[in-house]
Amino acid sequence: MSAALAEALNPAVFWEYRAILLKGLAFNFYVFACAAAAALILGLGAALLRVNRWRALRWAGTLHVEIFRNAPDYVMVVWIHFVLPLLLGLAIGRRLEFPPFLSAVIALGLVYSGYFAETFRAGIQSIPLGQIEAGRACGMPERLILWRVILPQVVRRMLPEAVNQFVSLFKATTIVSLIAVPDLMYQVSMVTQQEMRPLPLYTGAALTYFAIVFLAASLVRAAAERWRQKVYA
Amino acid sequence: MSSIPAISVVDVHKSFGPLAVLKGVSFDVPRGSVVSMIGASGSGKSTLLRCINHLETPSAGEIYIDGEPMHFRVAGDGQRKPRPIAEINRLRRDLGMVFQQFNLWPHMTVLGNVVEAPRRVRGLKRSEAGELALECLRRVHLLDKAGEYPARLSGGQQQRVAIARALAMQPKAMLFDEATSSLDPELTDEVLAVMRDLARDGTTMIVVTHEMRFAREVSDRVLFLHNGLIEEAGAPEEVFGAPKSERCRQFLSKYLPKYVQ
Amino acid sequence: MGNWERLVWNQRHLLLDGLVVTVEICLIAFAAAILGGLVLCLVRLYVRPLRQVAIALIEFFRATPIFVQLLWVNYVWPELFGWPGSFFTAGWVALALQSSGYLAETFRAGIEAVPRGQREAGLSAGMSHPLVFRRIVLPQVLLMVAPSLVNQFTVIVKSSTLVSVITVQDLMFQSQKIVNTWLDPIEILTATAAIYILVVFAVSALGKALADLLRRRYGLAAS
Ligand SMILES: Nc1ncnc2c1ncn2[C@@H]1O[C@H](COP(=O)(O)OP(=O)(O)OP(=O)(O)O)[C@@H](O)[C@H]1O
Ligand SMILES: [Mg+2]
Repeated sequence: MSAALAEALNPAVFWEYRAILLKGLAFNFYVFACAAAAALILGLGAALLRVNRWRALRWAGTLHVEIFRNAPDYVMVVWIHFVLPLLLGLAIGRRLEFPPFLSAVIALGLVYSGYFAETFRAGIQSIPLGQIEAGRACGMPERLILWRVILPQVVRRMLPEAVNQFVSLFKATTIVSLIAVPDLMYQVSMVTQQEMRPLPLYTGAALTYFAIVFLAASLVRAAAERWRQKVYA
Repeated sequence: MSSIPAISVVDVHKSFGPLAVLKGVSFDVPRGSVVSMIGASGSGKSTLLRCINHLETPSAGEIYIDGEPMHFRVAGDGQRKPRPIAEINRLRRDLGMVFQQFNLWPHMTVLGNVVEAPRRVRGLKRSEAGELALECLRRVHLLDKAGEYPARLSGGQQQRVAIARALAMQPKAMLFDEATSSLDPELTDEVLAVMRDLARDGTTMIVVTHEMRFAREVSDRVLFLHNGLIEEAGAPEEVFGAPKSERCRQFLSKYLPKYVQ
Repeated sequence: MGNWERLVWNQRHLLLDGLVVTVEICLIAFAAAILGGLVLCLVRLYVRPLRQVAIALIEFFRATPIFVQLLWVNYVWPELFGWPGSFFTAGWVALALQSSGYLAETFRAGIEAVPRGQREAGLSAGMSHPLVFRRIVLPQVLLMVAPSLVNQFTVIVKSSTLVSVITVQDLMFQSQKIVNTWLDPIEILTATAAIYILVVFAVSALGKALADLLRRRYGLAAS
């Protein structure tokens, strides 16, 4: 076992392939950034539907949330990559294919929009109605009330939960290797096939992700907490 | 010109489903005058005030601000059409509203609360809006708190900020809905003092209140609301001194025992 | 439609087999995660010398992506520990690791939410520490964390789709096998996605109902 342990913790292979592995890691961040942006926008949209006056729109919002929040992200990635282009292709009468990166961003963006929608909605509904009426009484149009009164408070309130969701989203980006987005995990399996040394490579990948997620989450949580406290007495 | 009242309420009805809360209320508020509205809990005072600035839509009747109908407008063909929300928002700017629960925006500083509407709604420049806001804060004696967040203020201070926020719209009239009801007695006085100053400066005001002494002192006219109707109206000496209606007498006896013979 | 019949309905035995494997692996992983979480949590709270080790493990399990853990357990553990010997075992072990980290923190929050006075009341009645824990603290904690447990189970179900990657023949695996056989993914993948969504939806609805019940009956806030 101690020989195996030494092999597992041997950083030499990892170091040797550092250039390509780093490039892979960059893809995790690209996917994360794009999917996070998509998830925030779609999530806000779905949340606004869910607090809408009209029942049909509320329904649409609920449907969006329940579908995507309950879908496993791997299933969603596969469905978006292999099924959605075919369906769209049928609709426009032409063969269609998504590049893996696009599929990954759409799928993860949709799944996490379901989570963000719930966070947004809880935040929006926690704003006392009186504050909104105060805005109306000042002659503020609803859109201005949304941007100036509601959302700034929602963002502050949802921050801790949003950080957790961002962490989950970043971790989920590792599965995009399964549709051949060349992320870190993808490169690790490539190098493994070449070198036939899974121990240091997979252990290294696990430790790398752990270090990134743990450090980033701790830092962001601390910063978010400080920001919240600065503004709220 | 000066004969047009600042606010004119004409036969306003309001129902929530089967519950008729206002059953035909009419009164005028002449420019520069103070009208107090008293009445038991549930008599419809808040609902009436909220109808006036369209936080509730009246079921029937009309409210005129400076002669302009608030809810409907008369189209070219003489038909009444509900106003689009943008026009209602424009008319709302002429009415400042102060709520029982202050309803300050907690994520903005005191100055931010007061500057917000002049800047974003009336489109004043940052410097103009800032000056205006500071002037309003001076009137409520809170210049020194401009940089604080509302959570750090006492209830009385928060309510004075809310008054400043309403004043900053430079409204034609101010609506107060039980502005002191959620305040401790010591804090009530500082808010009433500000309201008294406003009345003295000739601000047009509708004041819903349970502070009978204050109502008697500052009002030009007092309305007693009962069950969605104006049961009694008159100068404060009349309503408080010699109420004609039995119900009004009963109501006042709870607040001002000495007025009952 | 013909495709639905040919690709989904006629393949129902394969799909059902897959679903059974999915349920099996999820339940085993769930049980192991509860056990592991409890142990990690107790060690963290009550076994001084091992406290830092427990914290390190909890943080490592929580911060590492499940897919990475899965491949790590599958490829590295057999060399390191001579175990697990099968893909199925590697699958549930990885799922359990991830969840045990989260559950350890859930249990800790639950234990810390039990008022100290109750423990002291038990001790002063002559109960031993382990007895107080078993009879007074644990039952309350289990009630309090029950909704979170159900929630964690939905996470396990979602993550379990990944064990198909190491050839565990779960629902996702069977579905992709059908795709590779018939080369027509639309219906079968859509059906698979729908099945997963419905299962997860049902489980989380159960969790919500449970949380409501507990709140009403015991006045416990869901943690
Ligand atoms: N949005 C609403 N939906 C249904 N009923 C309402 C609504 N708003 C007010 N009401 C009802 O209308 C009646 C009058 O309420 P209103 O708030 O106007 O009374 P009020 O005179 O201001 O009383 P208070 O002194 O307690 O503030 C009450 O019976 C209340 O329950
Ligand atoms: Mg009221």
